[in-house]
Amino acid sequence: MKKEVVILIAKQFFKKTFHQKGLFILLFIFLAVLAYVTTNSWLAFDEHEHVVEHHQDESRKSWDNNPDKHPHRMAHFGSFVFRAQHPLSIFDSGIESYTGNAIFLEAHKQHTANFSEASLSTGLVRFGDLNITMLLQLILPLIIFFLGYAAITSEKENGTLKIIHIQGAKIKEILLGKSLGLFFVSAIFFLPAFIALWSIGFLENHNLENSVAIRSLLITLSYILFYMILCCVTVIISGKSQNSNKALLSLLGIWLLFFIIIPKMAQVVGNSVYPNLSKIAFKAAVEEEISKKGDSHNPDDPYFNSLRDSILKVYNVTNVKDLPINYSGFVMSKGEEQSAIIYNKQHNKLIDTYKKQNSITNGLVIFNPYLAIKNLSMSFSGTDFNTYVSFLSQTEDYRYKQSQYMNELQMKFISNKATSSEGKINVIDKSYWKTVPKFNYEYISISKTISTQLPAIIALVFWLLFMLLFITKYSNLFKII
Amino acid sequence: MYTILIKQFFRSKTVLLAFVILMVLGFLGIGTGKQFLNQKQEVIAKTKVEQEKHIKTQTNLHKDDLGLLLYYLKFSFINPVNSLAGISIGQSDLNSHIQNVTILNLEGQKYDTDLVNPMKLSVGNLDISFLIIFLFPLIIIALNFNILSQEEENGTWKLITIQGKSTFKFLLQKIALRVIFVAIILGLLFFLAKIILEIPFDRSFLQMIVMSYLYILFWFSVCFFIILFRKSSNTNAIVLLSTWLVLVVFLPVLVNNYITNTYPVDEAFTMTIKQRDEYHKKWDTDKRETLDKFYAHYPQFSHYELQEEGFSWLWYYAMQQMGDDESKQERDEMYLKIEKRESLSKKIAQFFPPLQVQLSMNAIANTSLTDQIAFLNATTKFHEDLRLQFYPKIFDKKSANSIDWTRYKPVFYKSKTTFNLFDNILYMSCIIILLIGFGVLKNLKHFT
Repeated sequence: MKKEVVILIAKQFFKKTFHQKGLFILLFIFLAVLAYVTTNSWLAFDEHEHVVEHHQDESRKSWDNNPDKHPHRMAHFGSFVFRAQHPLSIFDSGIESYTGNAIFLEAHKQHTANFSEASLSTGLVRFGDLNITMLLQLILPLIIFFLGYAAITSEKENGTLKIIHIQGAKIKEILLGKSLGLFFVSAIFFLPAFIALWSIGFLENHNLENSVAIRSLLITLSYILFYMILCCVTVIISGKSQNSNKALLSLLGIWLLFFIIIPKMAQVVGNSVYPNLSKIAFKAAVEEEISKKGDSHNPDDPYFNSLRDSILKVYNVTNVKDLPINYSGFVMSKGEEQSAIIYNKQHNKLIDTYKKQNSITNGLVIFNPYLAIKNLSMSFSGTDFNTYVSFLSQTEDYRYKQSQYMNELQMKFISNKATSSEGKINVIDKSYWKTVPKFNYEYISISKTISTQLPAIIALVFWLLFMLLFITKYSNLFKII
Repeated sequence: MYTILIKQFFRSKTVLLAFVILMVLGFLGIGTGKQFLNQKQEVIAKTKVEQEKHIKTQTNLHKDDLGLLLYYLKFSFINPVNSLAGISIGQSDLNSHIQNVTILNLEGQKYDTDLVNPMKLSVGNLDISFLIIFLFPLIIIALNFNILSQEEENGTWKLITIQGKSTFKFLLQKIALRVIFVAIILGLLFFLAKIILEIPFDRSFLQMIVMSYLYILFWFSVCFFIILFRKSSNTNAIVLLSTWLVLVVFLPVLVNNYITNTYPVDEAFTMTIKQRDEYHKKWDTDKRETLDKFYAHYPQFSHYELQEEGFSWLWYYAMQQMGDDESKQERDEMYLKIEKRESLSKKIAQFFPPLQVQLSMNAIANTSLTDQIAFLNATTKFHEDLRLQFYPKIFDKKSANSIDWTRYKPVFYKSKTTFNLFDNILYMSCIIILLIGFGVLKNLKHFT
């Protein structure tokens, strides 16, 4: 294979494409939309960040400003976590619209994360999200198909393919050259999007150190692979088709199937094969297990009776009133421990069911590069399912620690004779409220994301290699005439 | 002539493919709808059982203290899902259709979400409404983009012209054939949906059918308009596809984004903080003050005297009540924002059929945001009724046994549909007439 020939053909395709006046209009529209979408998403992100910070501060201020109180009152006063978005959500908002934005964390009660954007939106939200990725994942592939569907067929129809071949260009060189040319043309469309991505990476980097840059780099590389695959597919389909008309229709069919129907069907099938518990069943399951383990509210409960006996033994007293620690605080801390374990068990089961529901989509990444790039882009942008799950488990972790801290304070400082948390008698100093650490949200590390998304990365590499192999080894499958 | 046209039409591979795609996805869509409805029904059945069980255990545990019992006791309020929701799932998979509330502060409970995989939500449902809005146009485009241009490209158009018959009538016949074909498929899908989803044949179902057929007609008129520009098949395909892309994919997303950014609902956060703070603050403020506010809200309870020392249920429930009462302003602002989102969506949607049809279908099937808000408001009413029933009993220190708990079964919400067909099809019909009219007028001279 001669490199010069490939490059020559690529150059020729590139130049020829620019002879079409339509291309400039298309490019102009694409760039205008890209600019609009980028600024718009960026402004919305800043706004959201501001809103989240403001409410987080407000909620904390109100926590800090509590007067002297019984610790258990504070445990129920609880705290809110408003979910912060990753800066790269400007680029790819992933499932962000559908994930809860505010969660209330109090003692012995796990709340759901509420107020997702979609739950406050009209039915229009289901058409999708406006962001840079939508342009890159859905629109640009279609543009590539439009630009490249006639790459080979038009040469065939004009009779020029024969001439090029007779002049010494092998069919694989023509195919590779055209693919390369098409890739260069598409680069004019996607490079500006990457400029947007990188500027997000540089400008929104305040507290995430250099991870945003690495994420941006990984996203860029994945998309480049994706477009290379698309360009090869376009040219191969064009080469295999009898005429331009058929090439166009096949490509449009591929787009519809791979980009719209398969992703939707995969999720629908996943959900019907692995249905998850309804909320009422979930709650019933948790409650049943808790009542089996023992009910901290029931004074005759065997579990808590044995607990009482053991603590009485440890402190060598006969009545809980004589214990040096607050007994009801102790019971609550044990109850919290129990119920948290049971809740987490059920919750993990639920998350596992969700994961199974997603497994069909995730398994199909090998066959569908669109799903591969979608998953990669989402997870590197910190807007995917795993990120949300990790958010939920971090909030639960925080809730648990907060409740147990309050129980500890109660055990230490509240008299054993206290009967109620009401009034100004059984209280501790308000300075303790400030000692509760703030919620600190951490994104999944890049290395972990890479390891979970390994199949998607392999899929892209595999597809590209397969395409190149197909072009070079099986070029005899393509007809010149 | 017509029989030959029909033969030719059914011989093309596109037609067979279109039929197969629509039927397969149609079955899948109806299946999705059926599963959705079944799941909701199962949950409703489960709710009934659970409520009975729940009341039984709790009344056993807290026999002597009604105040404490009602701290734990949950009552279910169910939004029975309309069978039309199987056709247009809309927003009903996002929001909980069952409220499970105690008589405590409601605002902290009302917005709890259902357990749904967010991945599933973001990918969306493959229901019949999706099929109609998203895929039917593509099939219509595939069937129509080359009906004139192909004849011209193959040279057969000239043959038709010289036959002396009206070429325009010939073209109309070709289109009519396709309209009938697509209409029959759509009818078949509706028929299957009716049987499988057990939809009653009523006004709402008819309205949905009218909307869908009109939408199909809209896409035929778009195709008609474009093909009469008499460009090549490839150009037609690209132009029609771009139209589809803009109208069905890009524009709705753009409009939604615009609405979301124009009216961000920050009030949801503000409200949720406020309802917590207002309740909890009362633990540390003057009891008398709290009670005065409570008496002002419920003058009928002002004869219940406050016990100044120690804990009392009157004071406790008054505090809980303040969480709701004193976050009202924020709550009203939140609902106002949501209302604004709704009305702006509707206003913009009337000019764009895909948006219009989606919103209308949701409205007809009671799966729109408006319906969810109506359900939330009804929940507030339901909750208020419970409070009014139990407050005097708690304050009178009645025992738990004095109440007939078997009466407390889950309550069903009755949804109201306020869909006006005429308003919703007015603009779409105008657009269709304009498209066809322009197409005909522009081409009068070309045809005989």
